[in-house]
Amino acid sequence: MEITLDTRGGPSNGPYFEDAEGFNMPEPPGNGSRRIPLGDFPTGPDVGSRLPDIVATDQSGRTVDVHADRAGQPAVVVFYRSAVW
Amino acid sequence: MDAYRAAGVRLYALSYDEPDALADYAKAHDTTFTMLSDPDSEVIESFGILNTLIPPDDHPWYGLPFPGSYVVDADGIVVAKFFEHNFAVRSGPEQMLAAALGQEFEAEDVRGGQPVDRVSAEVMVDGDRLPMGVTRHIVATFRVPEGQHLYGEPVPEGLVASTIELDDSDGILSYEMLAPPTSPLTLAGSGETLQTYEGDVVLRLPIAQNARQMQKDDDGRYVTISGRLRWQACDDNECFLPESMPFSFRVEAGFPVLGDMGPGVGRVPAMNGAQHFQRLIDRRA
Repeated sequence: MEITLDTRGGPSNGPYFEDAEGFNMPEPPGNGSRRIPLGDFPTGPDVGSRLPDIVATDQSGRTVDVHADRAGQPAVVVFYRSAVW
Repeated sequence: MDAYRAAGVRLYALSYDEPDALADYAKAHDTTFTMLSDPDSEVIESFGILNTLIPPDDHPWYGLPFPGSYVVDADGIVVAKFFEHNFAVRSGPEQMLAAALGQEFEAEDVRGGQPVDRVSAEVMVDGDRLPMGVTRHIVATFRVPEGQHLYGEPVPEGLVASTIELDDSDGILSYEMLAPPTSPLTLAGSGETLQTYEGDVVLRLPIAQNARQMQKDDDGRYVTISGRLRWQACDDNECFLPESMPFSFRVEAGFPVLGDMGPGVGRVPAMNGAQHFQRLIDRRA
């Protein structure tokens, strides 16, 4: 899949920039963390397929296997940028 | 989070942060959902959602996903997913919970089973606040009398599809409307097939607030969302005139939870953010 970089937008107030949808950012669109796709981009497993296995360390240092841990309950799995910034 | 627990739905949030950064965040915010650490972006890569627009030597940004959410049912099957191209926008928890429970298009029975003779419509905002960049849904519920139907897209010239229309606003973004599947109805005369809804019909329009509205709103604490519902009802013999119902909601703006690089004014609670950020830069440099 060819992914296009979204560079729309420009300077905003003071040292800030604004993207094409009106969100402020510390860097010009298409730079640093603000490298977002314009148009199609991969969104992973399809609706109707089994969620791939996820095994990772949680906030208390415990190893979590999501499918085992949810113990037959429905779940929401969020991929987000960072808890730090 | 209480709503998730009450509904028996688990919540996992995965990022490329180190476990000790998650521990500090969880402590600072009293987090009760499961935060997962994927410092080498292995899970992110295995899902095929690594942001490949970021070069591998650009720290600390390399390793980020194209952010989004998956909703899985009790069998672990993906039943819905929410991805927006702009990483400033993410789905609200109400919508993901509704999808997890299979209730996205379920209408609450407010008329107590009383039959109606013409279509009635209601509209609400799902979620009490509209923080910048977090989507909420405008939810329209149409009560369609037995023997009548409404239309979904596409409609031929002369008929009006059921829809939620927003007034133009610099500060409110809207996304593709979510609608339940339609039933095909083939007309005897022309052989043309129309897409119809019967019974109670729920439509959902995701909206988000950008930074412009935050700056422009008079006191900065409320945003106004206005627009109209449109629909046209028909029975087997005739079509009624198209109808329109305006709406206007003044919703508390709210603020997203931001990462804390603190300490500093308005930056509570502290979670050693600057130190963890430096680690993100140094760990692969």
